[in-house]
Amino acid sequence: MNRIIRKLLNNTASLIGLLLLLVFILIAVFAPYLAPPLFPDPYQIPRMSWDVEPQPPGFPMSDDMRFVYESLGKPITRDKAIFGTAQGGYDIFYGLIWGTRTAFRIGIITVTLSMLIGVILGSLSAYFGGWLDELLMRITDIFLSIPFLVAAMVLTTILGRGLDKVMIALVAFGWMGYARVIRGSILSTKEEVYVMAAKALGVKDFRIIAFHLLPNTIFPVLVQASMNIGSMVVTAAALSFLGVGAPLGYADWGQMVSFARNWIIGSPGKAGEYWYAVFFPGIFIVLFVLSWNLVGDTLRDILDPRLRGEL
Amino acid sequence: MNNSLISIKNLVKYFPIKKGVFRSTVGWIKAVDKISFDIYNGETLGLVGESGCGKSTTALTILRLEEPTSGEIFFQGENISSINKKQMRKYRKDLQIIFQDPYSSLDPRMKIKNIIAEGLAAHNLLDSRTRVQKVGELLERVGIPPDYMDRFPHEFSGGQRQRIGIARALALNPKMIICDEAVSALDVSIRSQIINLFKELQSEFNLTYLFIAHDLSVIKYISDRVAVMYLGKIVEIAPKDIFFKNTLHPYAIALVSAVPVPNPDFKRKRILLPGDVPSPANPPKGCRFHPRCQKVMEICSQVEPELKKLDKDHYVSCHLY
Amino acid sequence: MENKNRDKVLEVKNLKTYFFTEDGIVKAVDGVDFEVYQGETLGLVGESGCGKSVTAFSILKLLDYPGKTVEGQILFKEDDLLKKSEEQMRKIRGKEIAMIFQEPMTSLNPVFTIGFQIAESLKVHYKMSNLEARKKVIELLEKVGIPIPEQRVDEYPHQLSGGMRQRAMIAMALACDPVLLIADEPTTSLDVTIQAQILELMKTLLKQFNSSLIMITHDLGVIAEIADRIAVMYAGKIVEYTDTRSIFFSPLHPYTFGLLTSIPRLDMEMEKLESIPGVVPDPLHFPEGCKFHPRCGFATERCRKEEPSLLEIENGHIVRCWQVDRVREEAKKIAFTRRLAVVE
Ligand SMILES: Nc1ncnc2c1ncn2[C@@H]1O[C@H](COP(=O)(O)OP(=O)(O)OP(=O)(O)O)[C@@H](O)[C@H]1O
Ligand SMILES: Nc1ncnc2c1ncn2[C@@H]1O[C@H](COP(=O)(O)OP(=O)(O)OP(=O)(O)O)[C@@H](O)[C@H]1O
Ligand code: SF4
Ligand code: SF4
Ligand SMILES: [Mg+2]
Ligand SMILES: [Mg+2]
Repeated sequence: MNRIIRKLLNNTASLIGLLLLLVFILIAVFAPYLAPPLFPDPYQIPRMSWDVEPQPPGFPMSDDMRFVYESLGKPITRDKAIFGTAQGGYDIFYGLIWGTRTAFRIGIITVTLSMLIGVILGSLSAYFGGWLDELLMRITDIFLSIPFLVAAMVLTTILGRGLDKVMIALVAFGWMGYARVIRGSILSTKEEVYVMAAKALGVKDFRIIAFHLLPNTIFPVLVQASMNIGSMVVTAAALSFLGVGAPLGYADWGQMVSFARNWIIGSPGKAGEYWYAVFFPGIFIVLFVLSWNLVGDTLRDILDPRLRGEL
Repeated sequence: MNNSLISIKNLVKYFPIKKGVFRSTVGWIKAVDKISFDIYNGETLGLVGESGCGKSTTALTILRLEEPTSGEIFFQGENISSINKKQMRKYRKDLQIIFQDPYSSLDPRMKIKNIIAEGLAAHNLLDSRTRVQKVGELLERVGIPPDYMDRFPHEFSGGQRQRIGIARALALNPKMIICDEAVSALDVSIRSQIINLFKELQSEFNLTYLFIAHDLSVIKYISDRVAVMYLGKIVEIAPKDIFFKNTLHPYAIALVSAVPVPNPDFKRKRILLPGDVPSPANPPKGCRFHPRCQKVMEICSQVEPELKKLDKDHYVSCHLY
Repeated sequence: MENKNRDKVLEVKNLKTYFFTEDGIVKAVDGVDFEVYQGETLGLVGESGCGKSVTAFSILKLLDYPGKTVEGQILFKEDDLLKKSEEQMRKIRGKEIAMIFQEPMTSLNPVFTIGFQIAESLKVHYKMSNLEARKKVIELLEKVGIPIPEQRVDEYPHQLSGGMRQRAMIAMALACDPVLLIADEPTTSLDVTIQAQILELMKTLLKQFNSSLIMITHDLGVIAEIADRIAVMYAGKIVEYTDTRSIFFSPLHPYTFGLLTSIPRLDMEMEKLESIPGVVPDPLHFPEGCKFHPRCGFATERCRKEEPSLLEIENGHIVRCWQVDRVREEAKKIAFTRRLAVVE
């Protein structure tokens, strides 16, 4: 065990991944200190001005905005938008900090739920085989044949706007990969002699799945899951970008990017004038995805069969 | 019949051969094809035969780990070949199995304590404290220090793992243990330790063994009776002494003569069989051994010989007798 | 011994091959000496992990990192193979020294026909044309007892049974009339009746080709049948080395003695099997002194401290043990009953 930890620390890529993830966790945990909320709902991004146009980093809070807050009796905790403001005067920095929590929530909840569904269906399918397997796998195929983004969009359109709806859509169309992976490995693992031995002892089917099959097959799924956390967040962001995600002003990275939609090119003669509106949200998303991928790689290395014996 | 623990009547196990996109069945592997024999209380029945002749399938079908295609299996006079899964669980305590590969037969992610206690847990026997105590006793009995019970299988050598497998089988106080090539994968010096352990346990716990092996020397040492299988059929079955003194079936004779003997002065006439074992999907007509048999006669390719009783307890399936 | 007048084909002197692993140095072969004479079969026996395969790979210099031969000489026709370049070794492998592996399926390439694979070395070493090589291959396949060789030559390994594949491997090894054959457990994965076929075949071919053979196996029955002399290995070292009859009738090393009394056998009745207690030591943590001492019934204080060296005890009977005399007394009793069994 110690050797594995030592190995990981020697590996720059996994070290970077773990550090990045740690930074994001710290941001999420200390969000109230990094960006103290102004509203009872901390996910509501405060606006720094009424400007439609994004404003550059360091932009101070406009006087009329200050007046609004003061008249509402809100203490002004920060009077500069250090990453600039997005369309509509929303503070990019604030949105990103609190958006980190949103990202973790989306990633972890959707991945956990879809993994759970996938693992249950996949293991039942593989273990019992026969018509059940046939049925479940056909259903999986049908779900897989629908393009993910389109399906998720249609579903969110039907269910309505909102993060929870986005998550439902992500789960509904995100479990198939797990089902396939777990089914494949259970199909081979259930031929192992120790499974036969358990049956010979009279161990019940569900106990065999829970105590023998899953512990020996779940790890590739966990690797896949950890890598998917990043991509789930990207998809959620894409849905927000397309306008079916979080409600207006909600601290969500996708929303931050979608605010930049009309400003990406810049104004005539000043290409890239509003770079900050895309750059900061973009870099958060990229680093978040990268950190989970590196962590996933690390997990895979740990679970590499060549290292197995030492676990 | 009166003192048989297990009695098998016309047991058949075919595996379907599936082909094509629709996985339609295009044929059958006749792994076990109408075999009948008894295993007497307290004895060791040795089952030999070459790879693929159906030894493991016979074992697994007796335990209902494979469903028999047809035929009957009686355990202490009760037909267990068609009872349902739940009813079968009751008999699992009495019928245990030890496998060949000491590496794949133990779950790599389980502590050996839990591996050995698994049967007890499955049948809700003993409370958890007495279970641990029992595991300790079992480990001690099979020659592994009880304080190793919190270790994982990979921390043990092949021979030790096989001992753990034995302890697992013993935990439920079975009446019979099927040893499917249980010593075949072990090194010479370890193999004799395990064989001796089997012998000791037999008298201590009054066990009945079905001892499957491809090594006739091991069979000769451990068995009371010997059964020889060829392509899904039992071709000869006899008490050990009679079998080795008076081997009758031409295949069994060739098998005995092929065993290398660790004695450079041991001279004998070796019968070399031509060709390979045919596929069980498409066994030869008549006597399944006839394409390789030196004594083949006209009738052999036409009529399948029955397993005939020659002497007291000596059965042969060959037209010569 | 009569061998002294014959030509020495191979002489291995103080061969040491270690594996430099992360956990430490595995001394897989730790000072092995033996020689092989023209036309004879030397048996190399021992339990799993004692270094038999590594010895074979070292002779052909087929070891990869982390394995390395750190010391010793391998004199083949009086030339040290360890001093040869990879280029020179390639000319020796397959032509002068050929190897037969345990698993015929993995040592044959599944994507080429067996004819192509056997012809390859003929083309490389003898610069034969395709047609010549094919003719020779068919001849070889016939020699190793493969029926309808004209047809089999164009088949792929998976189309052959295990026994046929092993025959094809033997044909491949014999293609260039090697001076020395090394067979690493060539019959272990085969059924007894097929094993008997292959052993008979090997015996006939060896006589015909007058090649020498190093036969590696853990099966004492196989070795009794085919070997002229035997080296017994334990934990990377040879512990006993002499002619086959002496090994079986008057073993002088406790390990050999223990092995012989612990195998069930067809040629005699046995009341009880003896067994060697304990397990083969972990190669990373070999015991001090004689490596066999924790399992040895003859062990004394001296054995625990000092490692014995290989000594010629009787004419040509070489043993690594401090207690040879006591073992000899014990063995006499056993050997007596054994001879009786033979007479019967
Ligand atoms: N689950 C299965 N599906 C299809 N065929 C099977 C299955 N199990 C066994 N067979 C086939 O049935 C035949 C008998 O196999 P079995 O494992 O009983 O042989 P065996 O005598 O135990 O051989 P070995 O000595 O190699 O263990 C073989 O041809 C095998 O390929
Ligand atoms: N690539 C390797 N890395 C580290 N150790 C190795 C390697 N290959 C072999 N060894 C070690 O070398 C020792 C001798 O191995 P070898 O394969 O020669 O045994 P063997 O006598 O041929 O056994 P078997 O009968 O199992 O084939 C073993 O302890 C093994 O663990
Ligand atoms: S029945 Fe005929 S072919 Fe079969 S074993 Fe007897 S003699 Fe041989
Ligand atoms: S030297 Fe001692 S311990 Fe080693 S084999 Fe001889 S008697 Fe046994
Ligand atoms: Mg089997
Ligand atoms: Mg080897």
